[in-house]
Amino acid sequence: MKTKPWAIAIVICFTFLISAAQILFKLGANQPSIINWQLFLGLALYGISTVLLLIAFRGGELSVLYPLIALSYVWVALILPWFTNEAMNQTKWLGILSIIIGVALIGRGSK
Amino acid sequence: MTSFISILLVIISSPISAYAAILLKRASKSLKLRNFYQNKQLLIGLFLYGCAALTYIFALKGAELSVLYPLVSLTYVWTVILSAKLLKEKINSSKWLGVAMILVGVSLIGFGS
Repeated sequence: MKTKPWAIAIVICFTFLISAAQILFKLGANQPSIINWQLFLGLALYGISTVLLLIAFRGGELSVLYPLIALSYVWVALILPWFTNEAMNQTKWLGILSIIIGVALIGRGSK
Repeated sequence: MTSFISILLVIISSPISAYAAILLKRASKSLKLRNFYQNKQLLIGLFLYGCAALTYIFALKGAELSVLYPLVSLTYVWTVILSAKLLKEKINSSKWLGVAMILVGVSLIGFGS
């Protein structure tokens, strides 16, 4: 099965939602109680994004679509500094570059 | 939640996450909105997927990202391996190299965090 562009697009949308969920989980993990609104909102986003993933899987190979999820690490690394005291550094930028190259290679490998 | 338990949990849940993805991929083909709750692969896949997510949330409490991220990124390796074995997908050198770059990238982000 060739991987269709629309499936790739849906997975990229998925990574936006899942990044928001991960940031919420991270913020929620630092709260006094592990049961907090960040957890529930994160789980809600997780649920919605799962539906998107199921739709996307209909349109392509798992070995192409699943690694795209790694883009969520890029989004989280870029956005998390806004919410926490973490800063961007060279190591993270290198990591982001590496992931983007990796995703491009996998896209090339799906042709 | 000790560091050791966090690490152990992530190492165990990594292949489980990958297998959940396999089930969800298989389930997506025959997915019908009307009777999705009768789709066994979907239900088991979602269950494992949810377990992995909860495991990750708990593991976050006990260990640093510099340790967890490289371990979590192994899920991509597992998924590609299982895709080849169970879904009969063709994995070429571009895909392997891409996954390797993703491993390196996620690990670097972990080290830098």
